[in-house]
Amino acid sequence: MGPSSTSNAGTGKPPPPPRTELDGFLAGAGHKVRSSDLHHVAQRLERLESAMVSSPSHVVSDLTSDTVHYNPADLVSWVDSLLSELTHSYHHPNNSSAPTSSTSSSSRSLPVDLDDLFAIPSAANNWLQPEMPLSQPPQLTVFTTMEEDSGIRLVHALMTCAELVQRGDLHLAGTLVDEMTALLTRINTGCGIGKVAGYFIDALSRRVSGAGSAPASPHETEILYHHFYEASPYLKFAHFTANQAILEAFEGHDCVHVIDFSLMHGLQWPALIQALALRPGGPPILRLTGIGPPSPDGRDTLREIGHRLAELARSVNVRFAFRGVAASGLEDVKPWMLQVSPNEAVAVNSIMQMHKLLGPDPSPIEPVLSWIRGLNPRIVTLVEQEVNHNQTGFLDRFTEALYYYSTVFDSLEAACPVQPDKALADMYLQREICNIVCCEGAARIERHETLAQWRDRLNRSGFRPLPLGSNAFKQASMLLTLFSAEGYSVEENEGCLTLGWHSRPLIAASAWQASPLSAAIAGGDN
Amino acid sequence: MAGSNEVNVNESKRVVPLNTWVLISNFKLAYNLLRRSDGTFNRDLAEYLDRKVPANTIPVGGVLSFDHVDRSTGLLNRVYLRAPESGGQAAAAAPWGFKELEKPLSCTSVVPVIVFFHGGSFTHSSANSAIYDTLCRRLVTFCGATVVSVNYRRSPEHRYPCAYDDGWAALKWVTSRPWLHSGTENNSKVHVYLAGDSSGGNICHHVAVRAAEAGVEVLGNILLQPMFGGQKRTESEARFDGKYFVTVRDRDWYWRAYLPEGEDRDHPACNPFGPRGRSLDDLVGKFPRSLVVVPGLDLVQDWQLAYVEGLRKSGLDAKLLYLKEATIGFFFLPNNDHFYTLMEEIKSFVSPRCDSLQKA
Repeated sequence: MGPSSTSNAGTGKPPPPPRTELDGFLAGAGHKVRSSDLHHVAQRLERLESAMVSSPSHVVSDLTSDTVHYNPADLVSWVDSLLSELTHSYHHPNNSSAPTSSTSSSSRSLPVDLDDLFAIPSAANNWLQPEMPLSQPPQLTVFTTMEEDSGIRLVHALMTCAELVQRGDLHLAGTLVDEMTALLTRINTGCGIGKVAGYFIDALSRRVSGAGSAPASPHETEILYHHFYEASPYLKFAHFTANQAILEAFEGHDCVHVIDFSLMHGLQWPALIQALALRPGGPPILRLTGIGPPSPDGRDTLREIGHRLAELARSVNVRFAFRGVAASGLEDVKPWMLQVSPNEAVAVNSIMQMHKLLGPDPSPIEPVLSWIRGLNPRIVTLVEQEVNHNQTGFLDRFTEALYYYSTVFDSLEAACPVQPDKALADMYLQREICNIVCCEGAARIERHETLAQWRDRLNRSGFRPLPLGSNAFKQASMLLTLFSAEGYSVEENEGCLTLGWHSRPLIAASAWQASPLSAAIAGGDN
Repeated sequence: MAGSNEVNVNESKRVVPLNTWVLISNFKLAYNLLRRSDGTFNRDLAEYLDRKVPANTIPVGGVLSFDHVDRSTGLLNRVYLRAPESGGQAAAAAPWGFKELEKPLSCTSVVPVIVFFHGGSFTHSSANSAIYDTLCRRLVTFCGATVVSVNYRRSPEHRYPCAYDDGWAALKWVTSRPWLHSGTENNSKVHVYLAGDSSGGNICHHVAVRAAEAGVEVLGNILLQPMFGGQKRTESEARFDGKYFVTVRDRDWYWRAYLPEGEDRDHPACNPFGPRGRSLDDLVGKFPRSLVVVPGLDLVQDWQLAYVEGLRKSGLDAKLLYLKEATIGFFFLPNNDHFYTLMEEIKSFVSPRCDSLQKA
């Protein structure tokens, strides 16, 4: 490595890492490259430069406007895919529909099999670069109004109270709750820190008094969910991004089966049904299995929603069948209930449900992940809150939640939703806060974990990532412009997409499929 | 240029470590994909490709960070602090939080606060881009300063003078934060410096002019490979064109994207001491002393050196740090001597007891 030898004779320079490890300095710059791959990447970059310089300009501009990029953190695959894209278009200027090209910005003409494009990176994430913490770090976003004196004192008091709760000093904590309640009367509780603090004080009060949180009825939960959906872009982003990935995964399949882990009012599916109806070559036969809680009053809510979706499907000529699976929790669902047949392409869709399975031992997450893998799905779409609310220490969890929900509420205010969406969306979030702060053990279901943690878990359970791509990114960004509020941002995170408020990601969407080895073991299981 | 490409590639590979070469070449490639010949910019793809990192209130390497967002502009400021000494009342790895916003940085000593403007030729990058987040953390570690890295509206969507307006607003915000004060009772204030690379360096100059005219005290300017230019072509532009990652053509594109439409490169934003610029001798005593860092292999160097001359001709204090074998972006990775030299220079520049006024 001649060129580097003269420049490396510096003071304080750390010893070079072993060659199979990631280059630490590039990792700090957000690029994952193994030291042993540096020459390969360098060579590719040179070739790309020559190719771009010698290509006619329309080829280069096609490369930039039409190419769909995947996972730019993985430099090797990104550079390789660009090079093959460019040399292909250069040699076949009139042929834009070759199987390995990723042309066209339309959401429907994406490549049939993503594997043809590039090698999916293995999970080489064990090397700990001192400058890059692995998990989502605790984040604090301060907004200008936070510096109001009372606001800061309130937060100070909240932290102190949480510390007392952690120490078990409930009596003193209770006194502090009373003081904070009094402080609240002096500030604006309609918005900002006053509002968020109010929810946390309420939750602490319930914990301290032993009153706990009242469990919401499934009916109430569905309504609150619907209004949260209307009041903010988070669930729309979740549905939209998942649908996009499912649409891509279903390319070329005539029989497809979507398993929705939480049907709610079926809000996600009309858009997918319509997209499938417009698919070139015609729609597939679509089955939808919706999982939801049993209705106590004898109504079959699942069936009603399925019926409405069937009507929509009929109106756009999509052959459609619906099945409802009533279960109080995902842990009660058994794969045979889903009636997956061997010739269908299966998509498993989980919007903010998986974290509920992370409860205390025996935790149902592993068995559930195992049967999902056993279905050999074409795709598993996973959307989760981007935060760790599953820490065992109460104070850590409390602090994390305070920062997280402050940011979420702030973003909601900026989105200026109408009533009653706003009030009910607030209630939806308040329920989450209460569960995180008040409950323990099996009752605590809002056990959010970060994307990095989910990646780790899914990789270990026999799944591999399906990168979401720049096309989904671009379309998600366009979705955001429909909202008058500036400040929402979509970010790419190693093949996954996050939606956040300013620099803070709040919700993360990712896609997965079973790793080949596990699929072979699962065999013809259905 | 196409024919001499191989020679160019070999030359740049000779002077930087391989991982630096890969990093900067990758930027060059990505940037080529983003700039369109009609002057527009593929912002969506740019945001997608830009590697960003979150702030972290748990100290990593002794540095913690948190974000502030201005409600009215939506612009992000990221604050980097040296982690408080353990053994205090907080537990070892407790996240720094809201309550610390009530206290100044220090009541006993002076802590320099560096307002940092990231580079990117007015068009690329953000304060939360990985390369800049890492750089700012290193500034805290090596120089013992607090750093506030600030975003500004970028071109071509926002042209001159947006970046300067935003920079000025950021400076005012920083100097009005009680929790950025340091020093003993009769000297408690924000001890502020401006720093930036590339377009960030250019912003430093123009914000410092505004500050001097308004009577806001800035203790020093640190311009790292600052972005200046002019209509005439200079010898360094001819000699280094395309050789070390940068071309005259791309520089021209960025100026066209930033300057008002129809303007040329002698506009005073680009060429502050040029035919349409002005002398700053009326600001002697108010305009801060400057440290200007010039990489010896940067094609813009003649303009950077002319800038230093312009400051001195106005009677202002300017120190030149000329790094002969350095290319642009040498400071992104700490794998070369120039990086450490730079950190030492900045450290002594912001150290409150520094009174040596060496000129190169």
